[in-house]
Amino acid sequence: MNKKKTVRISLLVLVAVLVVVEAVAIIMAWPRQAAGAGPGAENIDQKALAKLEAETASLRKKIGALAPRTVFIVIDSARNTLTLKTRKEVQLQAVVSCGSGSILEEPGGKRTWIFDTPRGEFQVKSKAVDPTWVKPDWAFIEEGKEIPKKREERFEDGVLGDYALGFGDGYFIHGTLYSRLLGRSVTHGCVRVGDKDLKAVYQAASIGTKIYIY
Amino acid sequence: MRGRDFRALTVSCVLALSLPVWGVDQTASLQNRLAQEEIVLAKTPSLYFIVYLKSRVIALRSRGMTLQEWKVQSIHAWGEAPPLGALTLAKKSTLFPPKRTKIKPAANEEDAATFELDALELKDMPARFTLFLSGGIRILVRPKARGFFPRLGNFGHLIAWNLWVPLKNLSFRLRKKPFAAIDIKLEKKEDGQALYWALPDGVKGLVFPL
Repeated sequence: MNKKKTVRISLLVLVAVLVVVEAVAIIMAWPRQAAGAGPGAENIDQKALAKLEAETASLRKKIGALAPRTVFIVIDSARNTLTLKTRKEVQLQAVVSCGSGSILEEPGGKRTWIFDTPRGEFQVKSKAVDPTWVKPDWAFIEEGKEIPKKREERFEDGVLGDYALGFGDGYFIHGTLYSRLLGRSVTHGCVRVGDKDLKAVYQAASIGTKIYIY
Repeated sequence: MRGRDFRALTVSCVLALSLPVWGVDQTASLQNRLAQEEIVLAKTPSLYFIVYLKSRVIALRSRGMTLQEWKVQSIHAWGEAPPLGALTLAKKSTLFPPKRTKIKPAANEEDAATFELDALELKDMPARFTLFLSGGIRILVRPKARGFFPRLGNFGHLIAWNLWVPLKNLSFRLRKKPFAAIDIKLEKKEDGQALYWALPDGVKGLVFPL
């Protein structure tokens, strides 16, 4: 009987301790405001407030000025969409194909490729009509072929569509032979666009046109 | 205390963080600070994010332009308020991280002609994950529960959020390490998946009580 009582009391004490610790934890975890941002942290008069607001407006104006003034391209690699737009309006929206995210390892070699479409801000660096694809090493490895020693053996016509816009590091916005796969993530990092949309993008974009990919 | 009371408690915690209790000067001061911090990020060619706690919006931005925006259904918080400065996404953590497919090089030309579509797509992304930001800040992202099992999962989350997270905060504070947890519930599962996709490790961002 005494033993039972001891166990019961021990359990009660344990529960009480846990409740107290939890209560302390909750009090300690109560959200606090960021330093210098709470009520009373800054009591500014009307004049200072007006000055602060003017400074904010000026900063906002400067931030706004960082956006491109001419047409630019936004690519959503998750939803496989391309939008051609200006600050004020959307000029074109197209379904595209972006990187598959797959990995290719060179058999017995040290090289590995991850086929992602790069993210961030880029710009059109080159424009080409009827582009020829200079097949990189990974294309031969993927096809189980030997990597050619001569550059001419890497040339392949017709696979990139009618136009190509290069945006650096071998990445292009180009056409496709596989229009049924538009909307899927199937490429090796380039952005494939349907023929009609590609023509519009090619005509609207010039060297230096900004590309935002996310 | 019942779960609902706990929820009310955390909601009031967030309200304590939010604007209505602040004067106009504090709002103006915060907006000024946000603009000061954002201009630094906007001057770089990298993408960045802004979490607006009061407006319940997460924005992915570049050069001051919003590329994508996600509406947040509810926000709860524990611990210190995130610092009003640029934070870096150290890592994303999830129970089942998406796995990349390894391409097997073709053995011959016939093999190369067969095409298999095996890509990492939006649907493969998790909708429930944690973003570990610099400065000991973690943002727990989850979608609104629809169906029995997701609701059960959210109930488990509620218990963990209200009991375990404060204990974790206590342990961090005792070790003098910074800790802040923000629980974000999104309207749709797809929003969570898109957010996971859009925020790569190393991306910088701001968390502001605006």
